[in-house]
Amino acid sequence: MKRKQFTALLLVGAVIMSTLSGCSMGASSKGKNAAKNDGGIKEFTYFVAVPGNEINDDNEIQQKIAEITGAKVKETWLTGQTAKEAVGTLIAGGEYPDFICGSEGSSQLYEAGALVALDDYIDKYPNIKNFFTKTEWESLRQADGHIYWIPQFNNSYGKEMETTHNDEAFWIQTRVLKWAGYPKVTTMDQYFDLIERYQEANPTMPNGTKNIPYTILCDDWRYFCLENAPLFLDGYANDGSCIVDPETKKVIDYNTTPTAKVYFNKLNQEFKKGIVDPESFTQKYDEYIAKLSTGRVLGMIDQWWDFYNTVNDALKQQGLEDLGCNYVPLPITIKEGVQSRWHTSGDTVNVGSGISITKDCKDVEGALKFINDLLSQEVINLRNWGIKDVDYMVDKDGLFYRTPEIRMQVTNTGYKASHMCTYSYFPIYSGMSQDNLNANKPEQQPNEFLSSLPKNVQECLEAYNSKNYIDMVGRNEIPGPWYPIYTFVGTMTTATPGGTTWIKMREIKQEYLPKVVMAPDFEEGWKEYMKVYETCNPKAFLDEVQPEVDRRIELSEKAAQ
Amino acid sequence: MKRQKVLLLWSLVYVIYGFIFCYLPLAGWLMAFENYKPKDGFFHSQFIGLGKFKQLFVDDGFLRVIRNTLAMGVINLVVTFVAAIVFAILLNELKSQGGKKVVQTISYLPHFLSWIIVTGILHDALSGTGIVNDLLLRFHLLKEPLNFFAHPKYFWGIVAFANVWKETGWNAIIYLAAIVAIDTNLYEAAAIDGAGRWARIRYITLPGIKPTIIILLLMNAGNVLNAGFEVQYLLGNGLVQSVSQTIDIYVLKWGISQGDYSLGTAAGVFKSVVSIVIILIANGMAKRAGEERLF
Repeated sequence: MKRKQFTALLLVGAVIMSTLSGCSMGASSKGKNAAKNDGGIKEFTYFVAVPGNEINDDNEIQQKIAEITGAKVKETWLTGQTAKEAVGTLIAGGEYPDFICGSEGSSQLYEAGALVALDDYIDKYPNIKNFFTKTEWESLRQADGHIYWIPQFNNSYGKEMETTHNDEAFWIQTRVLKWAGYPKVTTMDQYFDLIERYQEANPTMPNGTKNIPYTILCDDWRYFCLENAPLFLDGYANDGSCIVDPETKKVIDYNTTPTAKVYFNKLNQEFKKGIVDPESFTQKYDEYIAKLSTGRVLGMIDQWWDFYNTVNDALKQQGLEDLGCNYVPLPITIKEGVQSRWHTSGDTVNVGSGISITKDCKDVEGALKFINDLLSQEVINLRNWGIKDVDYMVDKDGLFYRTPEIRMQVTNTGYKASHMCTYSYFPIYSGMSQDNLNANKPEQQPNEFLSSLPKNVQECLEAYNSKNYIDMVGRNEIPGPWYPIYTFVGTMTTATPGGTTWIKMREIKQEYLPKVVMAPDFEEGWKEYMKVYETCNPKAFLDEVQPEVDRRIELSEKAAQ
Repeated sequence: MKRQKVLLLWSLVYVIYGFIFCYLPLAGWLMAFENYKPKDGFFHSQFIGLGKFKQLFVDDGFLRVIRNTLAMGVINLVVTFVAAIVFAILLNELKSQGGKKVVQTISYLPHFLSWIIVTGILHDALSGTGIVNDLLLRFHLLKEPLNFFAHPKYFWGIVAFANVWKETGWNAIIYLAAIVAIDTNLYEAAAIDGAGRWARIRYITLPGIKPTIIILLLMNAGNVLNAGFEVQYLLGNGLVQSVSQTIDIYVLKWGISQGDYSLGTAAGVFKSVVSIVIILIANGMAKRAGEERLF
């Protein structure tokens, strides 16, 4: 009897020990910093606070890159949370992966002291050092004078080769334009008029499902698809959270401009006509993407990066490309004569976020060496193009190209997970590559870009005399040295009245803008919205942005001297 | 004492467990009284007393989430409670053992689904092209499909329905167990005395499970402010945010997302204190009524 009890106790003890060790094992796997596996390959962890696709553990190109660089990185992505929630949770837990990209939550990581200052290291890594100019590195310094993150994107090695409008626009399916004989569409009224006419003539898809003329994504932070169009409609470039007038250098609130009222009034009318998808304001992001993937949605406002990846691949795999379901951007403004500035060219460094190394990383130099190695041309080609003769071919002039079969294969989700490894949230070059012949990215290779386009899109671009997506909306220079000011607004916190106001503004707009669009009486709804909007005192927000605009202008003037 | 040594040792394990996981984290409440900055840590953040609580109670947003939490908590409590008891009694009246088993199994299975799945099903079913709208249109109860999630007035109802659907079968198990424990002689005696089904339910079953009902009511009363997080978070959207956000969502939004850990903690502390008060009151009332109670 005694013995039985004793054994039982031992068992309980064993169970507890195993749970406890389970805990600590979980913790150590999180901070498994630069643990070496058998092949001498270092393993790092990376959390990216944006949604992304995880690749398989035995991914082929990842393995190849590991052989070259001596390291591999296990990436995890945002799921079901906002960036700030995920980052806030990490901070509260106090344990970090080796690499982190905080996205919207970057400033929180900085304030929590979670990041390693990189400025002392940068000089030792030539590829990293050359990634930015001196002025650009300076602009990355935080309030304490140190650099904590390296922005990954918008960086051309050679000349800029941009082909896609990787920004916001009024998008429309090519079939709508084709049906109307490729008319000139430049105003909001023309845009909706076209959609209305098309919808009346073609209410369904060939398979009988109903078309959705216009949908609005409004899920959490992605409600920009509803709210910030007034800025573009008035012909301003995407400063994000407010207008910065290039003439007066003054900050303007785009929520209360006359154009804003006209725009929402239009949406209200279209909603009543049944053109605006009645589920717009209650759909979740994945429902929205699923809708676009069926090819039923004729048009919407969105950022290219927010939908193209999943949607274009889905359209391709289902053969919907041949029906003209792909989207092209249009240079829409509020009225004729206003210059469209939906697209700005030139490398703009997003100083608000980038890849960081956390204080939990035991091998900072190894981590930086990995970033450095990823920027060598050999690895860039592996990341962007894949393996030679498998994922791309080289013609007699040394130009890279893909066959239609390869193109089909590289859009296959399973293949992407088991074979392709882009390390997409590590610093990457675009534009012309070091061989001065090929673009760093397949979609920027002129011949590859054109032949990879669906026939309908090719035809459409030709009809508008465009070589690529950007020509559809027109190129513009960056309006000024403050641009884009949203990189500052992203770092505002509740510590200041302006930061608190910014959150309240968003909260009010998320509730009232849908109400305004759905209001039986628009004037009434707008009046109510404006009344509530004023209560959060938007001026407090604008007053904090203005000094930053001034500071950035001053900084650039100083640098120019 | 000697004979209980082993038992005491056993319970010690759970005392340690409870201390580590239930009491130790309470030290974190300290954050509510300081201006906590992760960089400075617990011990070096500035102490500000009740400042964060003051900030809470002048915020209209917080008062609104208290209202939402209380409303949804009470609605959920009443509805799921009544549904479970009624369901248990109905199930008990079933004569066929096989049918009873089947119904019971099917009805408690949803309990094991996670909320993300349940809300996904609801979102689909209640969407413009979902089954509910489809039925309503076919029966000509509606002319146009109704977007249920676009109207604040339906939100609490949808949440209550979701809770009932998911938990009724599970909650009924405990009542069924209590009903089975009632002495069958009582039923026989009552039947001989001419009591019909209704009378037997009213005078034997219900009094028989009364202690169970009261204990569960007491325990659930403390959970009123745990009106939920996942359901509201997953079903909510901008249009209904004024009725959908609960204290837990508020804590997430300001505490975690905006990095104001102190404000989030203060809201959490407030919630816990109110919950304890509610339990004390409910327990006191039960005591006065001479019923079963927790302590």
